[in-house]
Amino acid sequence: MKLDYIAKRFGIFLLVIWLALTVIFFLPRFSTQNPIREKMNQEMLRGGYVQVGMEQMIEEYESKFGLNKPLWEQYGTYLSDMGRLDFGYSIAHYPKTVKSMLSEGLPWSIGLLGMTTLIAFGVGSLLGALLAWRRAPQVLRYLFPPLLVLSAVPFYLLGLVLIFFLAFENSWFPLFGGYSPGTVTDWLSISFWGNVLHHSFLPALSMILAGIGLWALTMRGMMVTVQGEDYMTMAEAKGLKGSTLFFRYALRNSILPQVTSLVLALGHVVGGAVLVEVVFGYPGIGTTLYHAIREFDYFVIQGIILIVIVAIALGTFLLDVAYPLLDPRITYRRA
Amino acid sequence: MKKGILWVLLSWLIVAAFVLASCGEAVPGEQEEEEEEEEEEEGLKEVSRDRTLILIWSGTEGRYVDHELWNPFSIGSNHQNGPGIFYEPLYYYSAFADEEIPWLAESYEYNSDNTELTYHLRPDVTWSDGVPFTAEDVAYTLNTLVDLGPAVRWGVDVEQFVDEAVVVNPLTVKIKFNVPAPKFHHFISYKYDIGVYMVPKHIFEGQDWTVFGHFDIAEGWPVTTSPWRLALSTPEQKVIDRVESPDEWWASKTGFADLPKVERIIYLPWVGETQTAEAVIKNEADASLDLRPHTISMCMEDNPNLISHTFHEPPYGYVDWWPISLIVNCEHDHFDNKDVRWALSYFMDRDELIDVAYGGAGTASLLPWPSYPSLDPFTEAISDLLEDYPTNEYNPGKGEKLLTDAGYTKDSEGFWVDAAGSRIRLEMLGWAIFEDIGPIISAQFRNHGIDASYASPPDASDRMDRGDFDGCLRGHGGSVAGDPYFTFRMYQSATLAVPGGHMINYYRWHNDEFDRLVDEMAITSMAEPATLKELTHDVMEIWLEELPDIQVVEWYHRIPMNTTYWTNWPTEDNMYVNGAFWHLTFGMILNELEPAQ
Repeated sequence: MKLDYIAKRFGIFLLVIWLALTVIFFLPRFSTQNPIREKMNQEMLRGGYVQVGMEQMIEEYESKFGLNKPLWEQYGTYLSDMGRLDFGYSIAHYPKTVKSMLSEGLPWSIGLLGMTTLIAFGVGSLLGALLAWRRAPQVLRYLFPPLLVLSAVPFYLLGLVLIFFLAFENSWFPLFGGYSPGTVTDWLSISFWGNVLHHSFLPALSMILAGIGLWALTMRGMMVTVQGEDYMTMAEAKGLKGSTLFFRYALRNSILPQVTSLVLALGHVVGGAVLVEVVFGYPGIGTTLYHAIREFDYFVIQGIILIVIVAIALGTFLLDVAYPLLDPRITYRRA
Repeated sequence: MKKGILWVLLSWLIVAAFVLASCGEAVPGEQEEEEEEEEEEEGLKEVSRDRTLILIWSGTEGRYVDHELWNPFSIGSNHQNGPGIFYEPLYYYSAFADEEIPWLAESYEYNSDNTELTYHLRPDVTWSDGVPFTAEDVAYTLNTLVDLGPAVRWGVDVEQFVDEAVVVNPLTVKIKFNVPAPKFHHFISYKYDIGVYMVPKHIFEGQDWTVFGHFDIAEGWPVTTSPWRLALSTPEQKVIDRVESPDEWWASKTGFADLPKVERIIYLPWVGETQTAEAVIKNEADASLDLRPHTISMCMEDNPNLISHTFHEPPYGYVDWWPISLIVNCEHDHFDNKDVRWALSYFMDRDELIDVAYGGAGTASLLPWPSYPSLDPFTEAISDLLEDYPTNEYNPGKGEKLLTDAGYTKDSEGFWVDAAGSRIRLEMLGWAIFEDIGPIISAQFRNHGIDASYASPPDASDRMDRGDFDGCLRGHGGSVAGDPYFTFRMYQSATLAVPGGHMINYYRWHNDEFDRLVDEMAITSMAEPATLKELTHDVMEIWLEELPDIQVVEWYHRIPMNTTYWTNWPTEDNMYVNGAFWHLTFGMILNELEPAQ
C-alpha cells in the first residue's frame, strides 16, 4: 500500500470536510429568518402569550450567541470551534449544548439504523445472489415479486401497517417509544436491553423489509453479470463444489459495488431517519435535525451535518484504502 | 465447509437470542386483567398503574430536549413540560370558577395609589430540603427578574413595573412599583400559562439563571414546596413521584389540603395524533394534548371510558383563552381601509367554517377575548355596540355594498379592484395548527371576489413579527379575567402608562385615542368594575368601528381524559379549573383527581 496514495486520499478527506463546513455555515445564514425570533415565537405559540419586550430579548440573545457580529468573524469563530469539536449551545433549546443533543439521539439512530442496514444488506444480498444462482432452490424464485413490491413500499407506510396489526389490534409490540414508561435506563441490564429491543422490533422490521428488496435486486443484477464470466466457466469445469462456486467465486466478485453502497448507507446512519422516528416515536437524531432546520438552529444543524459528513467521508476514505483487500485486482500503482 | 456451517449456525443463534429477548417483554395494555405493577428498578419505587397518571405531551417527535432543565426562567425551559408543578404560586386563579385561591400567600393588599403591593405569606411552608419558604424567596425572585430583564422569561414583564421587592418580615414582602400597577397581582397569579414562579433563594442565589438547570436528582433538585419529587428525567420520559407521607408537604401537614391521590406522574413525549389516539384508546395514557374533533370523537367511541370537557357531546372541549382571528396588516394598501376589513368579516361564513373544519364542534369568536364568566359582564356592557357592529355576521351583501361605496368594482375575473385597478390580494399566513381552517377561509373569500390564499411557510412567525404579511391567522393571549385590558394592550401602538418593552403590534393599527383609553385602563384597579366597563365601552366604540382584527373561531381544548384509572377530571359539570394539565393550574387538578380503581 503506497503511503503517498493514502496521504493524497487523506488530504482529499480534509478538503471535503472543510468545504462542507463552509457550505453548512453559510447556507442557513442566507435565509432572512432569525433563529432567536423563531425561538421566541415558538415559546409564544406554546403558551399563547405574546412576550412583552420580545425585541429586547432577541437582541440580548443575538449578542449571547454572537449573531450580531460580522459574518467573517462568526466564520472564524465557527472554524475554530469545529476544530475543537465545540459545537456550542443550541439556539432553540438553550442552554442545552449541541453535544448533549447529539449524545442523546445518536446512539439510538446508530443502533437502530446501523443494525437494520446491516441486516437488510446481509439478507438482501444473500437473497439477491440466490435469486440469480441457477442451482438455487426453485422456491426462491417466488420471492422475487414480493421483494419488488416491498422495495417500492415506503418503509413508513409499512411501519403504520405493522403498528396497526401488531401493536394496536394485537398488543404484541408497543405503540411507540424507545422503551417502556417508568423504566430506568440501564445499559448494563439485560432486562433493559430486552425492553429496548422489544421497542425497536417494529421500526427495525419495517426498515429491513423495505430495504431487503433493493439490496436483493442490485445483487441479483451483479450476480447475473458475474455468472457469465470466463473464470466461472473454468471453475465449473474444474468440478468445484456448488457452495465454493457460489461463495468464493460468484458472491465474492459481485459484492464489491454492494460494499460501496453499504459504506455510504452506513455513513448516512448518523443522520437518522426522520420518518421512522416520527411514525414510531423513536428517539433518534433525525427529528433533531429536522427541527433544527425548521427552527434555523444553526449550531445544531452544523453539529449534525458535520457528523454526517465526517462519517461519510471517513467511510469513503477507509473504503478507498481497503479496496485492494477486497479485490486484489485493484492496486495503488499509477497507470 | 464445516467452518461455513458453524458461522451460519452462530449467526442464527445470535439472531434468535435477540428475537427471544425482545419478545420476552410483556406489553401493558387493556388486555391484562390483573393489576399491573411496575418492575422494581434501582432508583424507582414501585407504583401501580392505578396510582399513576400518564400524560402524553410535548417533546420533539418522541423525545424531550429539556429534561435536564427544571429552572422555568431559562428561555429554553417550559413550565408546561413538568416544572410548573414544582413551583407553587402565591395565588392560583381559576377563570372557570372566577375564583382566586390563596396558596403560598394568605392575603395581599395594594396601597391607595396602587404603587405598592404587599403579600402576607402562609406560615409553615417549607422547601423540600427543609429550608423555610419566606419573604426572602419572593423578594429575591422579583429583584433578580428586575436585574436580569430580557435575559430570562418574565424578566421584562416584571422589570416594567417593579422598582424593588422588600422583605418587611419573614412572612411579609412589599413590592414597590415604578408606576401604578393595579393588575400586577393578577399577572403573577397562576392562570393558564401566565404567572411568576417563586424560586428558592438559597439554591438560585449565585447561579446564572440563563443556564442554571436546577436539576440533580441525587441532590433532591429541583427543590420544591410541592408534594412532588423528580424521580427520573430522560429524553424519553419524565417521572415525578409524590411524597410518601403527609408530613412531607406543608399543605397536608398543616391540614390546608389533602395529599394528592396520584402517586406518580409520567410525562411521555408527543409522537403524533394517531399514536396518541391509539394510546388513550388502549388505556396506556390518561390524558394528552388536545386532539382534533374527529379524532377525539372516534377515540371516545372506541373507548367509552374516555371523556372530554363536554363528555361525549360536541364541541368535546372547553373554550381556551386564545380566540382565533384573521389579522390583516393595517399598513398595507386595501387593508388600511376599515370598510375592506369589515367587508372581509361579512364575507366569512363562520358556521360553514365550523361545520367543515370541525364537524360542527366549535363556536365563532365574538370578540378578541374568550367567553369566560369574569369577562362576560364586559361583553354585556357593549351589547349595544355589537348590534351596530355584528362581528360574526355572514352577510355578503353588506360586504359588497361596503366595497362598492369605497370605490371598488369587480374585474373581468370577478375579483374586487380599486379605482386604480389594484386587486385586493390577501395571502394569509398561519401555522400548521390552522391548516384545517385557513384553506376554507381562503375559499370563502375567493367565492366573494377576494383574491385570497393560505399558506404555512416555515418563516411564518418571522414574517408576522416583521410585518411582512397581508393577512395571518393568530390566537390572542390576552385577558382571561378582571377586565379586557390585557387584550386591548395588544392593539396599542404606544403606551405611556407602562414603560419599557412593548408588545409587537401585529395589526399595525394606530389610534391615539385608543392608546390613551387603554393606558387609563392600565392604571385602573380590577376592583373598579364600573369604571372599567365604561372604559371598555369607549375603547370598543373605536375598535369595533375600525375592526383592526377580524374574529374567526374560539379555540377549544379538546383534551381526552381517561376515567379508567382516574375520575373527578374538570368537566362542564365540574368546572373547578380549565382542564389543560400543561397550564400552571395543573396543581389544582392533581389535588382533585380521584382513583377509579
